[in-house]
This record gives sequence, C-alpha cells and structure tokens, in this order.
Amino acid sequence: MIPDVSLYMVGIGVAFVCIIISFIALVRETEDLHRLLLTDLTEIICLVIIALVGTDLAEALILPGIVVGLAELLALSEVYLRKEGAYRLPKDTFHIEIMDSAPLILVVVLVGYGIILSGFTGGVVAGVGVVFYFMCQGSEERFELIETISGYAWALWIVAFFVFMVLPQYWFFGVMLAGSAILVKVMAKMALVGVMGGESDV
Amino acid sequence: MFELPTTEIGGDLLYATGFGDIVEYFTVYTTLLLVFAVVFTLLAVFARPERQVDIAFGGDAFYTKDIQKDDLRFQRFIAIACGIATMGALISGDVFNFTLFCAMIGITNIGIVASYRNKYVLETAYEYGIVAMTATVPLFGAAAIILATTGTLSMWVLFTEAVTVPLIAKILLLVGVMGEGMAPFFIGKAEITRAPGAPYVLMIHVSSLLIFLRVVEILLSM
Repeated sequence: MIPDVSLYMVGIGVAFVCIIISFIALVRETEDLHRLLLTDLTEIICLVIIALVGTDLAEALILPGIVVGLAELLALSEVYLRKEGAYRLPKDTFHIEIMDSAPLILVVVLVGYGIILSGFTGGVVAGVGVVFYFMCQGSEERFELIETISGYAWALWIVAFFVFMVLPQYWFFGVMLAGSAILVKVMAKMALVGVMGGESDV
Repeated sequence: MFELPTTEIGGDLLYATGFGDIVEYFTVYTTLLLVFAVVFTLLAVFARPERQVDIAFGGDAFYTKDIQKDDLRFQRFIAIACGIATMGALISGDVFNFTLFCAMIGITNIGIVASYRNKYVLETAYEYGIVAMTATVPLFGAAAIILATTGTLSMWVLFTEAVTVPLIAKILLLVGVMGEGMAPFFIGKAEITRAPGAPYVLMIHVSSLLIFLRVVEILLSM
C-alpha cells in the first residue's frame, strides 16, 4: 500500500500528463526513426509509473521493465536497419564511437581522482584511466620512459620508509612521499600491463 | 492448501503450486488453453515450413519461394520461444509475470517476421513493433496501479471478494494486452501474412488469441 496517497495521486497525474504528451508526439511524428526514439520515451514514463509505488517490490519490478523495454527497442532497431537496408558491418568490431570521444576526459577525471586518493588505491584508479586511454587511442610499445619513472617511484617509496625509520619526526613528509610514489608506481605498472600487445621489441 | 476464490469463471481448480505468494495454477479453462499452446508449439518444433507459390498473372508461369536455412532456424527458435512465453502467460498466477510474458509475446511476434527481406513485411512488422512497445505503458502501468492500490500482485489475493481492483487498472490491462497481441486486429493490413513459413507465422495468431482468452478470465475474476 502507498503510505502517502495524496502525493501518489499528484505523481500519477503528472505521469499521465507526460504519457499524453508523448503519445501526441508519437501521433504527430512521421519519421520512422524518430518514432522509434519516442516509443523509448513512453517506456521511460512507464517505468516512472512503476517507480511511483515506491516500495521494495516496485524496485524489483523496474528491472524486468527496463529489460523488456530494451529488448523491444533492440528488436525494433534491427527491424528498422533491415527495413532501410542500412546494414554496414563495422570494420573493427571492438571500436565504438565513444572510444573516440570519451578517453581524454575520462583519463583526466580518473587520474585526477587517483591523485586525490593517492596511495595504492589512487594508483589503481589512475592506472585504469591510463589503460583505458591507451586501449582507445592505441599506443606504440616504447615504454622505457614509463619503466624508468616507475623505477624511480619505487625507489622514492623505499626512501619514504627510511624516513619513517630514521627520521620519525618528518613522518608527514614520509607519508606524502610514500603516497605519491606508490601512486605513480602502480599507475605506471598497470599502464604497462594493460597495453602490452606482444610486439617484437618488448 | 490452495483454494480458488471463485470457480464460476475458470472452472474447478486442478492443480496449484506456490512460490511464496506467487501461485501458479491450472483450472479447467487454463488447462485447455495450455494444451492448445503446447500442441501449436510442438507443431512449430516438428513441422516443415510451407513454401509459397506465386503465380505469374496471365500465364502458366509460377515460382516458389525458398526459405534459407538460417532464416528457418531463427524463425523456428523464435516461434518456440513465443510458444513458451504463451504457456507462461497462461499458467501465471501473478499479474506482473503475466504482463511480462505478454510483453515477451510481443517481442517474439515481431521476431518471427523480422528475418524476411520482403519490404512490405518488414514495414508492417515495424508498425506492429511500435504499437507493441507503446503498449507496454498501459500494460505495466496497470500492474503498477494494481500494486499501488491493493498492495499485492498475486491473482490469488486479487480474485477474492475483499480486494477491489480499480476499473482504470482493468481497462489499462486490457488495452495493454490488446496492444501486445494485436495480430488479430492488425492483420487487417494483411501484409504480415505475405511472410512465408506457415507454422511459424501461425504462432503469432495463436499466441495473441490465447492471451486474449486468458486476460478475459483474469479481468472477470478480479
């Protein structure tokens, strides 16, 4: 049962208005592809109606609702492609459009967040960003520079441990040094592991 | 353990099995429908597809349409899936499961004709698909409103006298099922029957017909 009936009535009223608007749009639109997109819009409002119930059960019902909607959308897209004869198999199957546009911003976000996290976790996060970038943009396997940096970072990490042991009053410097050094080291290692393609000179 | 609230509509209860509050059950009525669905699914499994013959107008010439093996396999798979979804809708004792099975019937109905390269058939299948997709709104909407007003989706509880289902939910459910299994209405356009492959295309009509008969039972009992 709904705990707050009046709020539910308001919500379902708004949902019905949305349904009417989207159905009017569907009637007025004549372009096939746009009609397909509009049906997706109506499906989302359908999910809204389920979500209005606001219980755990409703939450469990949204998932199959989404799955069914997506399945229908996929099936119809296939029919549309076949109908329009718009079939052109991609040359490189593991290359989708987002891999051209996303990597730069993602690598900035992930490396930035990794630096904030610092330490081992930060290294992993930043490393994932770098791996993603290399995967999307391609890379030549000349990793001497990264290997060198990784080596120095590891050495700095050890230095930080010596600071802890020998000069404990400079613990803050040691923490910072260890955190940033392990960040660089893990990131570099992950980047190396992620992009090794087995070229002959590696 | 289980007792059907009313036996006037579906006949005597033959068998019921419970999964929590979801109770799948067989009455005389649904069992008959189920047998029908099973027979047609078996037909789809074992039958060979028809081969259409076109007569050239004004002469003795005719040509037959061959069905490629890939198309045949795909169609048969989808037709069997459609049959299984129909069976699920027939014995389901939960409103949301019923709506899900109906939506699946809608998808498989598109799928059965989607592998043809005939432009008219594809055009019609696309229109059908648009309607089937928009029909999920009243279909799931009805289930959500039933859940919101009565607090349950189990038909077992909904069929009792104590629970009243709002009229709007019943109407939406009917509209949704009409949209999903709309072949009997939409066949007026007749293009979809240009698709060759008799036992599989028949599955579209059989599934639509059966979920109509089932939803009538549900609506009368609620």
